[in-house]
Amino acid sequence: MKALIQKDFYVLWKQMKIFILVIFLLSVVNSVFNVVFLVVWCSMLPYTAMAYDERSHWDELAAMMPYSKRDVVLSKYVLGWLCMAAAGLLCLAARMVLGHFLESEVDVSIVLTSLCLGVISLDVTLPAVMRFGVERGRMIFMVVIFGAALGAGFVLDAVDIPSIPVPVMALLPLAAVAATAVSIPLSMKLYQVN
Amino acid sequence: MNAIELSHIHKSFPGFAIRDLSLTVPSGTICGLVGENGAGKSTTIRLLMNALRPDAGVAKVLGVDAASPEFRAVKEDVGVVLDEAYYPETLTAVQVGKVMAGTYKRWDQGTYEGYLRRFDLPEKKPFKDFSRGMKMKLAIAVALSHQPKLLILDEATSGLDPIVRDEVLEIFNEFTREEDHSILISSHILSDLEKLCDYIAFLHQGQLLFCDEKDRLLETYGVFVGTAEQLESLREEAVLGREEAHGYGGVRALVRREEVPAGLELERASVEDIILFMVKGARK
Repeated sequence: MKALIQKDFYVLWKQMKIFILVIFLLSVVNSVFNVVFLVVWCSMLPYTAMAYDERSHWDELAAMMPYSKRDVVLSKYVLGWLCMAAAGLLCLAARMVLGHFLESEVDVSIVLTSLCLGVISLDVTLPAVMRFGVERGRMIFMVVIFGAALGAGFVLDAVDIPSIPVPVMALLPLAAVAATAVSIPLSMKLYQVN
Repeated sequence: MNAIELSHIHKSFPGFAIRDLSLTVPSGTICGLVGENGAGKSTTIRLLMNALRPDAGVAKVLGVDAASPEFRAVKEDVGVVLDEAYYPETLTAVQVGKVMAGTYKRWDQGTYEGYLRRFDLPEKKPFKDFSRGMKMKLAIAVALSHQPKLLILDEATSGLDPIVRDEVLEIFNEFTREEDHSILISSHILSDLEKLCDYIAFLHQGQLLFCDEKDRLLETYGVFVGTAEQLESLREEAVLGREEAHGYGGVRALVRREEVPAGLELERASVEDIILFMVKGARK
């Protein structure tokens, strides 16, 4: 599985450089929306890697190699988690650096909330993309990801996250864990080499 | 032991089916898989490597059932080159090597780098800027760099210039000097297969028309060149396919040597003659 993530990392490296730049630029504006949008946007990166795979028919070649179906499916989830975590950390780092000049701070709870939303977005969209491929699955994940990112961003902008009672906030990570527990076996079942 | 054993494989798709395919490739030999586009060559390879499940029948590679959980370990011993299936286009040869080092337990970086040099492949150029020939050379380098016992090559020599093709065929020949090394190779370039293979298997519309030793095929068949009247005088079972010979109004026909009169002069049939006449015969 490590080799597959490494391959995706090589594929995405150019894109990642752009993401890092966008994160720093958007971090100038201290907005909860920006953090949520960036983290959830990064949850789409596995689909970019999968689009490259499809274009070169990599899946057909990978089916000849000693990868298990579990490796192939799980590597996409892990890639998504790593991208989101990196985006969250970069947002925090950018705010810490810029906070000195702009006199503002970003709350860790906002990043954690964004991560949970990103994980749920990935859980909802990945099984369909595993089954139909990126081209045909694109509409599904566009609607879900942008809907989730925009909706959550605006809602969270209007709500003061730190003021939400802890038990309500604890539900989001639980929902993310539950969605992942359902999504991974579903993706395994739906995955097929096109 | 047999390197490859397919027994009574059936696989149906809309508009196409592999029917009752049985094929054996003994260990230590090279088998050429021949067939027109859409005959089922790539499907056969996918069935062999468990990338497709057959509707019926058993596929075994290096003695292990492809449908069994143990088969994943067998894939370590099989180097595969596929037609039109490559590495993601942004990867470089160096990055492909690093990914493969994490993929195969017996990856040999020194061998890989040796092939990159031998094939004159750029290390840092993205795969998307490779020519088709360079892509095939990289795929061949990967297939040979994890100490495989079996090579499965789907159109691996197409797109290569004649000099490199000759060099690659020599590399494949070297590979089978080890007693337990075998190759299954599909190609449209029948002269390559004639040069390389011990066995020739011919797939036509999802069915295996024959799988035989190349030398026996070349001994069994001959090409008759003469008039239509001379050909008509031969027994019907002797003639497998015929065509009008251009230029002088005569005919050429593939015949079974043992079915024609002893004194009749026949030209040597190439593998290409045998395949082409058989396809024409099957169409009639």
